[in-house]
Amino acid sequence: MLTKRTRRSPLLMLGLATSLALVLAACTSGSTKTPTQSAADELSVDTPAAKGPADSITWALYAEPDNLDFTTTFDYPPNTVLANVCESLLRIDSHFGIRPGLAEKFTNPDPLTWVYTIRQGVHFHDGALLTPEDVAYSLRRNTGPDTGSYWAGFFRNVTSINVTGAHEVTVKLKQPDAVFNQVMATAQGTVDSKAFMVAKGKEYGTATGLVDCTGPFSLTSWASGQSIELTKFAGYWDADHAAKSPAIKFLFIDDASARTNALLTGEVDGTFGVPDAGVPTLKTATDGTLYFGPQTAVTSLIVTNFAGPLKDRRLRQALSLALDRSGYLKAAFAGRGEPASTIVSQMSWGQGPQQPVFAAAAQALPPSAYDLAKAKALVAEAPKQTRPIWIVSSSVDPPIELLALAMQAAGKAIGLDVKIRNIEPDKYTLLFDPSNDYYKEANADHVDLLYTDWYADIADPLEVYANLATGGAANYGGYTNPAIDKLVAQALAEPDPAKRAAITVQIQALSVTELPWIPISYRPNNVFLNQRITGAPTTNAYLYYPWAAGLGAPTATP
Amino acid sequence: MTAAAGAVRPGAALRFAGRRLAGLALTLWATSFLVFGAVHLTPGDPARYMLGPRGVTPAAVAAIHAQYHLDDPVPVQYVRWLGGVLHGDLGRSIQFRQAVSSVLGPRVAITAQLVTLAALLTLIGVALGVLSAVRPGPIDTTILVTTTVATAMPAFVVAILLVSVFAVQLGWLPAVGSGDGPLDRLQHLIMPAIALAVSLIGLLARVTRASMLDQLGREHVEVARARGIPWGRVVRRHALRNALGPILTVSGTLFAGLLVTTSIVETAFGIHGLGELLVKSVAQKDLPVVQALGLITVAVFVVTNLVIDLLQPLVDPRVSLGASAA
Repeated sequence: MLTKRTRRSPLLMLGLATSLALVLAACTSGSTKTPTQSAADELSVDTPAAKGPADSITWALYAEPDNLDFTTTFDYPPNTVLANVCESLLRIDSHFGIRPGLAEKFTNPDPLTWVYTIRQGVHFHDGALLTPEDVAYSLRRNTGPDTGSYWAGFFRNVTSINVTGAHEVTVKLKQPDAVFNQVMATAQGTVDSKAFMVAKGKEYGTATGLVDCTGPFSLTSWASGQSIELTKFAGYWDADHAAKSPAIKFLFIDDASARTNALLTGEVDGTFGVPDAGVPTLKTATDGTLYFGPQTAVTSLIVTNFAGPLKDRRLRQALSLALDRSGYLKAAFAGRGEPASTIVSQMSWGQGPQQPVFAAAAQALPPSAYDLAKAKALVAEAPKQTRPIWIVSSSVDPPIELLALAMQAAGKAIGLDVKIRNIEPDKYTLLFDPSNDYYKEANADHVDLLYTDWYADIADPLEVYANLATGGAANYGGYTNPAIDKLVAQALAEPDPAKRAAITVQIQALSVTELPWIPISYRPNNVFLNQRITGAPTTNAYLYYPWAAGLGAPTATP
Repeated sequence: MTAAAGAVRPGAALRFAGRRLAGLALTLWATSFLVFGAVHLTPGDPARYMLGPRGVTPAAVAAIHAQYHLDDPVPVQYVRWLGGVLHGDLGRSIQFRQAVSSVLGPRVAITAQLVTLAALLTLIGVALGVLSAVRPGPIDTTILVTTTVATAMPAFVVAILLVSVFAVQLGWLPAVGSGDGPLDRLQHLIMPAIALAVSLIGLLARVTRASMLDQLGREHVEVARARGIPWGRVVRRHALRNALGPILTVSGTLFAGLLVTTSIVETAFGIHGLGELLVKSVAQKDLPVVQALGLITVAVFVVTNLVIDLLQPLVDPRVSLGASAA
């Protein structure tokens, strides 16, 4: 139920660029300034609202989307575009709050049944009316292996999806799953026209086949390798979220410095996730503003091997205590970010009744301390290390390499032998897939620690913590803890958000002492906007929220 | 001129070109087999790239394998692919999930324009080389030093310099992208073309200079001058014409190499052309695209060399087609 940011850059693969990182996390919400943040990095959730339309908006993506079929859109570039074109059953807002979407209402008559009342009078971009048949057909595309849906794993509890009324679709589950309904607000809950998808067949979602959908913008052109153009949809059902500007054009600029230059010269008006190397220049840019915002992503080290030295909890704890997180943040990001004490950021707590539960639990947690004496004591207690601890490093992104070096230094300081294993950039993603041969090979060769910037798709920490259960979707190390398994099952079956939070914080408490994932840092998201435009969110909600609809000019006069 | 035209009999030229084109077909076939085999030997499963890192089920992998016939033996896959190519079907891209031809189309145009522009710019190198050879002294020294520096400049360094000066500081030219209309396209491609061309200009200037100096020191040039033929004409007709042979040969190799160098420049300028596509496709194991790009590169290489070989007898009647081809 979570997503890992993957990034591909030809130039990085050639080893010529500085950084393509878009990876950023934060734990502060609202407009509070935190002491570790450098002076100007005040966090905000939104940028000033647009007062009028802006002509010819150009937006940079760090890569061209491979395709826009919603069953395969799970990465920043495709989701950034698709969020404005296609809509889901539910919708998240810029704070990750869940709102009605194409379903105007949902009920949960029993723990195994979700009933969605489909909104009437919604038109697809080609003019046809949305029907429950379109909804059922779209959701079913995520359930079978035939389409190779990325989301199939998250539909594993679904037994049936049926049209049960003139405006009603019912989903039956084989076991309670509190997360399922929430992810209907992400790309997983996308609805497109059945007739369109059937007609396009294999071409659906490609540059030649395009998509239809109901969102505030329609996908009017995709020149492969050049640009994607969206045009305001005049027949959009939701007047409050209609597009403020007539069109937006996306350009694909893979190289980090080329992207920074394009922003500086005004050739593109904005982008999410400015490259780290470009942050100092863009912060002082005169033609626009760089905003920082909280997000649901957290940098962690996943323990991927529980048969090696790290099967001993004390060594995991010792390494965590011996890492100078502030020093790492200073070296890798000029101090932008904060040491993390859990693997879920404050943004993911949500705004509802569960929020105080998570806030209180966070207060009670020990801060992520840098304590060499305690770490050394733990190492002395543990059995003697029989082989080195291997941490993965890859030139795919400089922070990965820096963290590997920092962990090696941490190990050295407490008498642990930590060695770095370099992985080619294109193999890096394979380490996140336990079923592939390369993963098995790498683990036979001992890979113990794996860097990740993990973003939660929804504001429910359970989405992340469910991964720690036996057989969890992202339980890469095959970690097993009966206490966590039991709590995850309990939490998934709990429909009440506050009660679910109370169970989730117990999992959280276990996770910070057990450390199957070692939390490293919370870092802010960012967005750069040329002075011509405003109205974008600063959070990473842009993955699923129709953010471009709010883009426009800062003044009413054209 | 008349002597040159007389040396190449049209029939011989046609037969020669025919033989070379047959050779091209054979080379393409051999290359396709090698590329196909090489991509299959590298580790990694294209289905994994398609499915991404999350929620990969064996059933989903099996479905992709069946859809793209990935479980067939490599020779069977190769024959299926070859059959498609002979019918004009290059297959479907795994990463873009659309026909390879529709992925290649717009990118071929951009890269062709970029490379052509760069090739035109390299003519500056020939001019500088000639100037250097006929004007010994300060001009020669200046050109020699400048071209030495130019030769040593990697394309990506030139790219960074150009962007920071002409796009970011002065704002004269766009920093990224490839533009829409013809004029806009030219504005977008001029800096990348210069970045590609700089080291080639340096190299060609040096080759031209050496070749020209060699010719200028020859007896026939002395004789021509002694007979009172104007200096300009001696340089053009007696020295440069004879010097063109080696220059053409070097240019041919450089031009074909441009197609590969573009990957770096295209990435630096955010241009989505063939070079950028090749790097990306290799990383993603997008076999159908890699295959098609391999064939294009080889075809360009062979055709360029064929053109150079056909030109050789025109500039130097002493070279016969059979001999130059050997």
